[in-house]
Amino acid sequence: MNTLVKHAGLRTAVFLLFAVLVSSGTAFAKLTATANHDRISVDFFYHGSTVSVRGVSDPGTDLVVKIASPEGEQVLRQKGKVGGLLWMNVGKLTFERVPTLYFVQSTKNLSDMLSEEEMNKHVLGYPALEKHSEVSPVASVAEKEKWFDEFVSFKEASKLYSTASGKISTTQEGGEQQYYILLDWPYQAPPGEYTVSVYAVKDNKVVDSADTKVHVEQVGIVKSLAGMAKNKAAAYGLISILVALGAGFGVGLVFRKGGGAH
Amino acid sequence: MYLYLPVALTSVNILIPVGLGLAVGLLSGLFGVGGGFLMTPLLIMFGIPSTVAAATDSNQIVAASTSGTYAHWKVGNVDFKMGIYLLIGGFVGGLGGVQAIKVLKAMGNADFVIKMTYVLMLGSVGTYMFFESLSSMKKTKTATATSKPVKESGFSKFLQSLPMQTHFEKSGVTHSALLPVIFGAFVGVLAALMGVGGGFLMVPVMVYILRMPMHVVVGTSLFQILFNCIEVTFLQAYTNHNVDFVLAVLLLIGSTFGAQVGAVFGRKLKGDQLKIILAVIVLVVTVKIVYDLTSTPSLLLSMGGGH
Repeated sequence: MNTLVKHAGLRTAVFLLFAVLVSSGTAFAKLTATANHDRISVDFFYHGSTVSVRGVSDPGTDLVVKIASPEGEQVLRQKGKVGGLLWMNVGKLTFERVPTLYFVQSTKNLSDMLSEEEMNKHVLGYPALEKHSEVSPVASVAEKEKWFDEFVSFKEASKLYSTASGKISTTQEGGEQQYYILLDWPYQAPPGEYTVSVYAVKDNKVVDSADTKVHVEQVGIVKSLAGMAKNKAAAYGLISILVALGAGFGVGLVFRKGGGAH
Repeated sequence: MYLYLPVALTSVNILIPVGLGLAVGLLSGLFGVGGGFLMTPLLIMFGIPSTVAAATDSNQIVAASTSGTYAHWKVGNVDFKMGIYLLIGGFVGGLGGVQAIKVLKAMGNADFVIKMTYVLMLGSVGTYMFFESLSSMKKTKTATATSKPVKESGFSKFLQSLPMQTHFEKSGVTHSALLPVIFGAFVGVLAALMGVGGGFLMVPVMVYILRMPMHVVVGTSLFQILFNCIEVTFLQAYTNHNVDFVLAVLLLIGSTFGAQVGAVFGRKLKGDQLKIILAVIVLVVTVKIVYDLTSTPSLLLSMGGGH
């Protein structure tokens, strides 16, 4: 068994997680996954970031990189046609077991490299995520499909969902395959913990996987203001009002001195 | 330059809120409206969640209307007495409106009723104001220098027969004190129903029912909007945690200046000119809402919250 792991080129690595070998007896390079930073700080001037993932894998394996937030429930307003003419909110739809953020990147098209069972098992790709999720209230499977597609469009519009192939670059070196991908991290992604999972694929099956985490957290003024809005709501409200009153009067005085009279 | 908004959880180019504030503040100082019917949809368009957009806008209006009220007060165009009666009515009406929403929601067609009320109110107020100011502009051209013809309609006779007749010195009108309270309440109910400040309704009420001069209407409207928005901002911050302080500050940088410029500029325009421009803006917004209602939306799902 080849247990050599190359550290070269991982200058920005913060930490490293090793996956345990899971498979059927052939020899592997242990799959590794490292994100360029495990912490994204959201400060006053934050406008999104980038996340790169790199590691080594067994030569000849295809790779899937999935980044997702923990699954949860999301309630969205549903638009529909009223009286055959007017579009308006007609109700609410609850999506369960869906992540807030869901990125899937693969070396090839997912359906060309994985069997349906494997995609479903590891929740890779929108069809698998749809099967994994629950949508209510819907009357039929077709309706669930329709609204899940709408859900994906909604998420893609906020840059929180994406799937694509061909962005992962690989190089072969010393009997190992090195991979690398750089992804834009959207500022729309809320604070929280995100899991980066890398899957090595051979013969339509996932043969190995490795995980790492990315934390997004608010810092400084952003953190204090967000905390105050939640935990000291009365004081926050009063300060907001006083600042607005002060600004209104202040500007009024400036204009009087500035010759606003006629 | 981009700034991150801690409550909206998104990043904006600061020129956008400052510019929007300036434009809407200008309208506020000119016409005595809060401008929520313009600002909230624009903020949503720029990626602010709808609940945060509405709550933060009310915080911003506190600043713009303080600035505007101050500018109008300096030239004696705020009728505080009338404003306070309207506020009393508005407060009661607001409470009633919140109850009405609960009833409508229980009946299951709240959104439809609310949207229809909104479109009909905007459309009819805009149309009426447009044609009325158009015809009175024509009249002043033909019959020069004749002071206002006092029309004794049945409605105004009825108004004069109401108890508690009070003289409102600033506005130069005499009404029953019940009148501003009742109409304040009426606007309050509708405003709460539609989730807007109601300035675009309050202005025509003051002009056409309370017969106040347009320039005093603008100042007095801003005065009562100021108090309404203080209440709404506090409730939104306290119960819904939806006020984004950073966004509010960016907006008010623009809107406080805009309100001053609007007030100065407004003095140079005649009452009828102000009315007709406001009518056109209200009608354009109505058309936009009808267009949005009838064209297929690109996304059929949106963030929850609000009503």
